[in-house]
Amino acid sequence: MSITVDPRRKEKIQRYKAPKNQTQGGGANEDMMPDYMNILGMVFSMCGLMMKLKWCAWFALYCSCISFASSRVSDDAKQVLSSFMLSVSAVVMSYLQNPAPMTPPWASAT
Amino acid sequence: MRPIFTFFLLAIFCLAGQLSGASAADVDFQSTDDDFADFFDDEFVDATFDTMPSSEDAEARAATPGGANVEKAEPSRKAVLQDSDEEDGVVEDDDEFEHFQDEEEFEGYEGGEKPVATDQKTEPKLNIPNLPLHFRTHWDSYWMEMLMIAGLLAYFSNFFAGKAKNARLAQLWFSTHKALLDENFALVGDDGKQENESPGLMKESESLYTLWCSGRTCCEGMLVELKMIKRQDVVSLVAGLMRPQLDQVHIKIELTRGVMDAFVFAVGSKKTITKVFKEYADLSKFCSLVSKPEDRYNLPSGFGVLSEVPEATSAILESRVITALNKYQSYIDYLHISDQFSGLVQQEEGTTLKQPETKCMLLAGFNLPKHAEMETIKPLLLLIFYLMERLKTYRMSKEGKAKSDKNRLRVEEEFLKSTHAARAEAAAQRREDKRKQEKERVLAEEDPEKQRRWEQKEQKRQAKKNAPKMKRLAVKSL
Repeated sequence: MSITVDPRRKEKIQRYKAPKNQTQGGGANEDMMPDYMNILGMVFSMCGLMMKLKWCAWFALYCSCISFASSRVSDDAKQVLSSFMLSVSAVVMSYLQNPAPMTPPWASAT
Repeated sequence: MRPIFTFFLLAIFCLAGQLSGASAADVDFQSTDDDFADFFDDEFVDATFDTMPSSEDAEARAATPGGANVEKAEPSRKAVLQDSDEEDGVVEDDDEFEHFQDEEEFEGYEGGEKPVATDQKTEPKLNIPNLPLHFRTHWDSYWMEMLMIAGLLAYFSNFFAGKAKNARLAQLWFSTHKALLDENFALVGDDGKQENESPGLMKESESLYTLWCSGRTCCEGMLVELKMIKRQDVVSLVAGLMRPQLDQVHIKIELTRGVMDAFVFAVGSKKTITKVFKEYADLSKFCSLVSKPEDRYNLPSGFGVLSEVPEATSAILESRVITALNKYQSYIDYLHISDQFSGLVQQEEGTTLKQPETKCMLLAGFNLPKHAEMETIKPLLLLIFYLMERLKTYRMSKEGKAKSDKNRLRVEEEFLKSTHAARAEAAAQRREDKRKQEKERVLAEEDPEKQRRWEQKEQKRQAKKNAPKMKRLAVKSL
């Protein structure tokens, strides 16, 4: 499998172009996780804020963390940050309204 | 995404405005509640067993709503006034009832003069309300919150550890293959910016690294994608326990047009082959799954083959490639050669009127070894270069060429057929637009004679358009 002739060609150099369309060429395994987690985090944040459900607010915080961890470098950092801030505010607001500790679902009946 | 964001942010601002009012009220209420709670906990409960109330106890009773029945006692009032510096809430209650003690306030009323006799033998009646559970508890009751925060800390510590490990693995792959890449490409590592600031691996995300190489015969460029396990995300790691994943490297080489003959071919693990057969447009349109590739091409078991032209398939799967496939069976995920590569299957094919652009591509997917022994997979890159050279030299026979041409014609016809209705609609739309433009142009002109002529012409045309149908009907009826 050895190659004897030098295959390099300087005149054939093409600069890297970031793929414009993700479906073209490399979108087969495109990762949708950050987007899904972003949306889920927002839904949970809103539930936490509106319905005063603390566990929802905490889940939102986790979702935004996952979204942050799996986001691409080229993704909009503002989007991740706003989702994160929204979930943090959901947690803070829910504890400002009612500083009582969160009760686990199995203990809520008592 | 952006409209959703603005909506959510608006909603938050509205909500925050509402809640700040509500929460302030809540906090006030809570603080008064808490004051009472403290009081109940300490002094008030002690008082129930005290038969000889001291001045301090009396003061305490005076402060509580439950102890209002003893409030009239004179000594207690004085005591309260003395200690008013210590207890805030007490002072306000007293002045309000001062007139009850004033002798001139109620003339002729005797009952008021008598001081209320405190029954020293019986215990004072005190109601101890059912306190909510959380007012008695302290930091240990926040164990769920602590668990959540501990989970977050664990997540972030894993994030940094996983990120570092992925970066180390990617760098290891690059340093192992760098010499070989330098031998084959004039440009190794490009970030696409005006000046190549960081030649080397590019980080797309914490688990995806890319490398662009260019400047070689036969090809325009090669994109290497190192797709790692998402070690930075605990959730993905846990999901990986159920569906094990591997670190992978995907190589995409765009071949120069005309270098290779026209055929489509893929070989890979059976699981991957069935998946890409459905997903990629070129494979699903041109190829068919070869049955029993083990017997036909001496492939190791576990591999599947998608082939368009049998002679091209057997030419690619010659002894050297078969040896490599046998030797590196666990590391090779797929090899995909195509002159008609157009990416994934388009979901809404009816709406696109043009056939998607096709490229000559050589794609490969390899699994990285588990213990970071990158040297073991170095020959796989050599296999890729070998395949490129092979594609350059290999030429199909006449029959093979005829077959591949026929296939391309068939696919084109199928495409035209499937988009016939949409194309007819588009043509009608174009005609309509043209007519509208013409009408506008004529109306813009100031010559009424011209306009009249145009209208007549248009009427004639409309009549002509409707007329033949009537005629045909008449002929049929005769």
